[in-house]
Amino acid sequence: MTAAVLNSPRLHRIREAVAARPRLWLAVTLGFPVVYYLGMFAALLIRFQALPNYTETFDWFGNVAEIVRSTPDWSDIWPIIGQEWLFEVGRMNYDYGAGISEWSLYINPTKFGLILILGGLTATAFNLMLARRAACSASRLNGGAAAGGLGAALVGMTNVTLAWVVCCATPNWVVGLAILGLGVSTSLWLEQFGWWIEYAGFGLLLASLYVLSGEPKAPGGKPADSAGGHDDHHYPNTAMGASR
Amino acid sequence: MLRHITQGLALGAVLALTAMAPAQAKTIKVAIGHQSMCTDTYTAGIVVKELKLLEKYLPKDGKYKDVEYDISWADYSSGGPITNQMMANKLNIGVMGDYPLIVNGAKFQATDSLRTYYVAGTGYNLKGSGNAIVVPVKSDLYKIGDLEGKAVSTPVGSAAWGMLLKAAQDNNIKFQLKNQSPAVGAANIAAGKIDAHSDFCPWSEIMEFRGTGRKIYDGSEAGVPYLHGVVVRKDLADDYPEVVQAFIKAVYAAGKWIKEDPMRATDLMEKWTGVEKEVLFIYFSEGGHLTLDPTIKPKWTEALKFDHTVLVKEKAIPPLDFDDWIDEKYIKAAYKDMGVDYEADKAAIVDPKVANAGLPNQIWHARDGIKEFKTLPEFLTAVAKFRATGAKINSTYVYDVETGLKLFGKTAFWVVTPKGEFSTFLRRGEAEKFAASSGGKVIDFDEAIAMKSS
Repeated sequence: MTAAVLNSPRLHRIREAVAARPRLWLAVTLGFPVVYYLGMFAALLIRFQALPNYTETFDWFGNVAEIVRSTPDWSDIWPIIGQEWLFEVGRMNYDYGAGISEWSLYINPTKFGLILILGGLTATAFNLMLARRAACSASRLNGGAAAGGLGAALVGMTNVTLAWVVCCATPNWVVGLAILGLGVSTSLWLEQFGWWIEYAGFGLLLASLYVLSGEPKAPGGKPADSAGGHDDHHYPNTAMGASR
Repeated sequence: MLRHITQGLALGAVLALTAMAPAQAKTIKVAIGHQSMCTDTYTAGIVVKELKLLEKYLPKDGKYKDVEYDISWADYSSGGPITNQMMANKLNIGVMGDYPLIVNGAKFQATDSLRTYYVAGTGYNLKGSGNAIVVPVKSDLYKIGDLEGKAVSTPVGSAAWGMLLKAAQDNNIKFQLKNQSPAVGAANIAAGKIDAHSDFCPWSEIMEFRGTGRKIYDGSEAGVPYLHGVVVRKDLADDYPEVVQAFIKAVYAAGKWIKEDPMRATDLMEKWTGVEKEVLFIYFSEGGHLTLDPTIKPKWTEALKFDHTVLVKEKAIPPLDFDDWIDEKYIKAAYKDMGVDYEADKAAIVDPKVANAGLPNQIWHARDGIKEFKTLPEFLTAVAKFRATGAKINSTYVYDVETGLKLFGKTAFWVVTPKGEFSTFLRRGEAEKFAASSGGKVIDFDEAIAMKSS
């Protein structure tokens, strides 16, 4: 079963597309989280028209070690670790009491890992589109791009790690929606659907890879092999994208 | 032969080094999450911390002879984050109000391997006073029904949030709920940026005392006792039950210290927390909102079970097995060690309406301290006299006719009858009702003083 999946033509085309432009794939994969977090930070600066005035670093490794040491069951360990932060930057208001964090951006290593995976999937879809633009119909390319873009947007949205005191005192993905102007009550109501939205996002991304790595289309619209076309392994360079 | 000598020397060296090495003392971590801006937690929080009461009661003999204690305190503005930190074992003792306590127990029971125990209370108000909904002082909102469709903030997950949910359910109203920390809510009330803010003790009194906010709904209207308590991680409680007992002894001692001299206590607590002593006095003085009592009463279990149903109705909260969660064995052992009758304390419940009947009204004179007056006319005459001479008054205290709760003189609704008798009320509606039935009228504090100043 596993061997069949690994040897499937679609996976082969995906591997070829990534191998065709490895540096581009790596740049998009690694650049995605950087752009993602810088984008969140920029959104805060624009929305609140103020610079941050504090940062805090958390002993993530120490905290994780303590969680593992003191939690008997692994099924409990993962969700607790998922809530641990590494870094926080934000703006503190000292007008009242000992200070209140008005807004902040957190970096959570678990979420960061998800965003990195998202970056990898996006880079793969991007490479596939470049590699197969000559072999795929316009509708397939557009459909794959739309599904991939929407999927990336949904996953990105549900992994926002912003805190805004008037919306939610703890970091929460719906804060991003509230900052964009959605009502606080509506945003908080949407919170319960976070997992489903994230699953849907990853599903769309995988669907886009599936669509983009499909059989090449013959000029008449039929799959190339059924129309007497050539084998996948003998695609001309023009089909895979010549330039690297 | 040479090999045997070498091995013998090596073994001897190892044994000698082992003997010379200092004994490794076992360290027990006691990390407490408390709330220095929540009065009802003080007897398990700031007072224990500042007076070093835990250090005094921690066991130091028997299996604890060579133990070192790593005691740390973390201050939070509400109970929710304390639970999160307890789950990550950064804290193993938490002090919080009733609704966060329930969330704590339920969240832990939702895991496969972690648990907390509710081991002691800190204090309570039988009527439910302590939580309140406050509006900006110049607002034209006067009752909970006026909040329909308005923006109301609260620290979500706090006891005040639970009260707000129940108040909304009881009165069948809907509003835009916003999540705001107490300090932000208080600042927004002062700036008139929010229609109303629901908060826990002592934030509504801080707003009233500073003249920025006005209560339109008191927790006592919900009719459910308001209480705070201590939760402990199971691993700490199971491994070191004597440490948990020591913490409970410290809680008891903190309460005793406050009751001995409330003026001294509030003066010091103001320095520790930044909360005005006049505000703290309304909680910790004789007749104050807070009855300091760590016992776990059946009535509290009933109240907590009821609170859980409110949370279940409003938010998907996991079930909570109260029998597994509430564990009295630690507090019973602590009381036994102290030679205090647990069952007697447990049976005693203070009803402000009964306990505060006949208590004198008070004026806190800035120089001379607390002065007491048996009747309201005497009290008003004294206030008028102080004002006429320019004497500084820190605060004044009277009692609500309906509930017996202690009030600031300046925020009470006053009723004067045709015979010149005065009464004080927490809520405007009850004052108006009484005025209508007695032929009197509702007046404010300044008007009442003016009537006695001539």
